Amino acid sequence: MDGTYPAGASRGLAWATALYLVLPILIVLPVALTDQRYLSLPEHGISFQHFRTVLTSPAWLGSIWQSFTIAVAATALSVSAGTLCAIGCWRISRRATDLVRVLMLLPLIIPSIVYAIGLYRYFGPLGLLDRFLGVVIAHGVTGIPYVIITVSTALAAFDPRLEQAARGMGASLSQTLRWVILPRIAPGIFSGAIFAFIHSWDELVMVLFIASRDVFTLPRRIWDGINENLDPAMAAVAVLLIFFTLLLLLADRALRRRNEG
Amino acid sequence: MSETRGHALTLREVSKHYGSFTAVDRVSLDVGQGEFLTLLGPSGSGKTTILMAVAGFVTPSAGSILLDGSDITPLPPEKRNFGMVFQGYALFPHMTVADNVAFPLRVRGLSRADRDAKVRAALDLVQLGQFAERLPKQLSGGQQQRVALARALVFDPNLLLLDEPLSALDKKLRAELQEELKALHQRVGRTFINVTHDQEEALSMSDRIAILNHGKLIQHGKPLDLYERPRTRFVADFLGKSNFLEGIARLPTAQGFTLEAGGLNLAVRGTAPGEGARCLLSLRPEKIGLIADGATADNVVEGHILAWAYLGTGYSLRVATPSLGELRVALPAWQATIAPSEGLAVRLGWSADAAVPIEDDAA
Repeated sequence: MDGTYPAGASRGLAWATALYLVLPILIVLPVALTDQRYLSLPEHGISFQHFRTVLTSPAWLGSIWQSFTIAVAATALSVSAGTLCAIGCWRISRRATDLVRVLMLLPLIIPSIVYAIGLYRYFGPLGLLDRFLGVVIAHGVTGIPYVIITVSTALAAFDPRLEQAARGMGASLSQTLRWVILPRIAPGIFSGAIFAFIHSWDELVMVLFIASRDVFTLPRRIWDGINENLDPAMAAVAVLLIFFTLLLLLADRALRRRNEG
Repeated sequence: MSETRGHALTLREVSKHYGSFTAVDRVSLDVGQGEFLTLLGPSGSGKTTILMAVAGFVTPSAGSILLDGSDITPLPPEKRNFGMVFQGYALFPHMTVADNVAFPLRVRGLSRADRDAKVRAALDLVQLGQFAERLPKQLSGGQQQRVALARALVFDPNLLLLDEPLSALDKKLRAELQEELKALHQRVGRTFINVTHDQEEALSMSDRIAILNHGKLIQHGKPLDLYERPRTRFVADFLGKSNFLEGIARLPTAQGFTLEAGGLNLAVRGTAPGEGARCLLSLRPEKIGLIADGATADNVVEGHILAWAYLGTGYSLRVATPSLGELRVALPAWQATIAPSEGLAVRLGWSADAAVPIEDDAA
């Protein structure tokens, strides 16, 4: 049925969809530059005062630092567990490992609010509520699927004869892993790490359940800010977040391109 | 290096089953010190499975593998100290040529200085000294193949295993590397076990060939012996080309017997299978000659050319004979006494020792 729709109409639809996706992100940019004291568009001119507020406020900086350290620790957890799991499934490669791989994707499939309720129930007795470690575990475990997906993809392109060759030449499993397998799948691991980091960095639902006062991540502070007052500083934070995420995604792209080239 | 530094390998009743499928069926074979043995067979014959079992990547379902008399069957591949050249070479793409060759030495914890000296020697052995700092993908197929050889030899392996080492190369390069590989074998004096489905490669390089089919070892021996005296129809057909003549054995003679086939009495040298027994002969196309009118040979049959092809080195003819059916004939071209054409009447002749009695193992 080619040519049934005029080319202009489908192109217009595509642009509308793209704008629909991008506009809500772009709207925070003028809002962050407002000269007013509440969440609004600039009236008399643009002002960087809200960026100044964010970058000088101990509360905002504290949350940024806390989110960053949690994301780094959670990423380390996701990457090591996810990479080992993906390599294990790839090496054994039976029907049971396919099941393991699907199981490992559950955190992506199950709504995070369901997860959060469960975590809340059993983190209490363990004393992990409102603890740095608790949030790291929660984010780290739910970040595993991203690593498994990217590392499994990298392994699918890995020639299993390279592993045989290494072992045939006398390499132990850990030598084969360090010198042959890991260097070949490093781009996949880095991609997974970036996604796991982003996942932890902007995660809110679980944090709402398992943290209250001591652990107060950046998304949590934005959420509270929206609920309590309409401080444009939140828009400034949002802009900073967007740039940071964009940077990470560009790093991922650059890495992939370098690897393909 | 005239001394023999190779090791001897023995396969004792080795079998490998995958579910109900038998990939290798009770294969027993001795490989002598410093020998170049080729496992030859069509795909699915079990030759690669045997090589992988020797390397340690496949665990035999039954039987044992011995190196210089001691059982190595339970050893994992990394403990066997065998060099291996994989199909497609399996060079590490993220390492330079020198790092690839140094890998087995690095694994063994050699110092950098020792490693460098051995890597240089190994690369010189395969004439790739000046390519040490290149990446594998910057080399041609033949060069990659030689890097794989250097890497497999650099750590003084007990055996060198070659899995279809030349199959990825074009025909001319393959012929060159066959000679090189044979010369290398003589230089290093190690035991080589090679797997191929290419009969020409097997004939030209090996000290000995083991022919496999459906997981069974059909026959093994020196290339010349296998070619001249195939034991079964499969061997005669797989190693070179052959005509097959079927008949009844009659009248043992002084040097052989007579085969009654298609109303003819053919003279055959060899042991008679017994009066009245069914008998199959293998007759190589190049052992059949054209006979001028009036001339004689031990066996003569008349026919006419069905089809012919000029191959540079010779003519390949398909001749229809009323008594023996269709026969393939190979003639040297430059002194051929005829100009072949379709329908041309010819007299074919061969001596009594040209045809060899074989077993019929065709399914």
